[in-house]
Amino acid sequence: MSGYAGQSIWKSLGRAAFLSVAVSFVLFPILWLALGSVKTRNGALAVPPEFIFQPDFTAYTRIFTQGFLGSFQTSLTIALTNVVLTMVLGVPAAYALTRMTGKVQENLSFWLLSVRMAPLFAVIIPLYVLFRGIGLLDTPIAVALAHLTLTLPMAIWMLVTYFRSIPIDLDQAALLDGATRLQVLWIVILPIARPMLASVGIIVFIFSWNEFLLAFILTSRDAQTVPVAVASMAGTMSFDWPLIAAVSIVSMIPALLFVGVAQRHIVSGLGAGAVK
Amino acid sequence: MLRDWRFWFFLPTLLALGIVVLFPTGYLLWMSLAHWIITEPGVYFDGLANFRTLFRSASFYDSARVTALYLFFSTVIMMVFAMLMALALQHSRSGILRSAIVLPLVIPPVVAGFTWRFLLNGEIGFLGAWLFPMVGLDVNMLSNPSGALVSVIIADVWSRTPFMFLIFLAALQGIPRDYYEAVRLDGATAVQEFFTVTLPLMRSAVAVALLFRVVDAINTFELIYVMTKGGPGRATQTLSLLGWKTAFQNYDLGGAAALGVVMLVVTTISAGIMFARFMRKA
Repeated sequence: MSGYAGQSIWKSLGRAAFLSVAVSFVLFPILWLALGSVKTRNGALAVPPEFIFQPDFTAYTRIFTQGFLGSFQTSLTIALTNVVLTMVLGVPAAYALTRMTGKVQENLSFWLLSVRMAPLFAVIIPLYVLFRGIGLLDTPIAVALAHLTLTLPMAIWMLVTYFRSIPIDLDQAALLDGATRLQVLWIVILPIARPMLASVGIIVFIFSWNEFLLAFILTSRDAQTVPVAVASMAGTMSFDWPLIAAVSIVSMIPALLFVGVAQRHIVSGLGAGAVK
Repeated sequence: MLRDWRFWFFLPTLLALGIVVLFPTGYLLWMSLAHWIITEPGVYFDGLANFRTLFRSASFYDSARVTALYLFFSTVIMMVFAMLMALALQHSRSGILRSAIVLPLVIPPVVAGFTWRFLLNGEIGFLGAWLFPMVGLDVNMLSNPSGALVSVIIADVWSRTPFMFLIFLAALQGIPRDYYEAVRLDGATAVQEFFTVTLPLMRSAVAVALLFRVVDAINTFELIYVMTKGGPGRATQTLSLLGWKTAFQNYDLGGAAALGVVMLVVTTISAGIMFARFMRKA
């Protein structure tokens, strides 16, 4: 608290009270999920709830024995493929967009924005038919391609905001030295943009890793991602909460590792990119 | 144009999005005019029959109503909650509270939905079976229609507020201090200060947040799918869920495509209005 002059004690108290309620609302479900993953099946379902108990880690070992490893592998394949595709396509496009002027640039930006705004559901049904037609249904590549509908406009948008801040003089200098545009991008721009590229890559990865609807519709058995596998447990007869919780916790690890790095850029990219 | 390097740099993106977005959207229009049932052999042009069926079905109006209710209440609650948190944390130097608050951002909505379903469950849930009955609230929220909608909204607010909070926080921190000094000298209260200085200056941030929110709410699927599957009855069946049921439970691809067209038109119009009003000039 920066201590305003004239700020009453009641105001600080109110702020503290509100914040403690808000933080408990946010953190409690996560805590309960984590606790649930180290309980026994009966222990997790006990009413009144058990607060003190002997932790039981068998749910985590069951991730391996009950066939979830494949889902983790599929999710990883899809997310990494998607990151590579998004970057390879998006980086040159974003760079070109920042070096354009006038109507063309305005129209292309608006078009990218409108792609991002289209309801997913309108794209899914035709994609399903399309992928079924060419035999790509239930493969990781189909899901990775489908994720481009969201990640590519998102990544270009974030990169544009950043590339714009790199002075054009740098391009000019390199061009005078006889570099091609591809060399300018590769040798001049990309090294400067490395932290931003990493953040965009991380955000795209997390998005792809967590995405459900496209993965759910476009796969059935062989290429199930982790979120789809988690959701399919909803339909099973026995409500195996510790296993669901354990899979969920493990599935959050990549995102949690990255969140510190990416957090700031999610705003600067998605929010401010539109405001500026 | 073919000599322009910028054209070649943008072309791959144009092609990729053409394949995964433009072509499917065009194809959606054709599908919406076709009699296309997965389990039946023939696919043929059927005029506006799918739209006629859609506009005559009670479940369409039900789903539109549920979507509107869900969109309205979740958005209002989320905006107020996100704004209060951003105001409370705008001068805070410690990143710990902020990191804690944005944590749900990285939790997949499937997991969020599952966790809330488990918490609210009337037989085994921490809240539904233990805390709520203890304070005299003996309702099994997930199994009665309005309770189920409230549950879904709570989970959605939990899962999606952090994103809005980050947008608002960035906007708040971008407001120059001197703006406040001026009104404070005039003796404005904190509430007056908020409505005369803060909110007007955050107009475009609020518009962006709202735009993302509307799209996000219309796309919400897994949270509801995991929590209630649209039930009980049709109480939480939004348009996305109706579309999924039409296509993959009733196997009516034409009917689902018609619904997709309607959703596309509605979002395009509302996004267009918001874009024209708030963002074009910004």
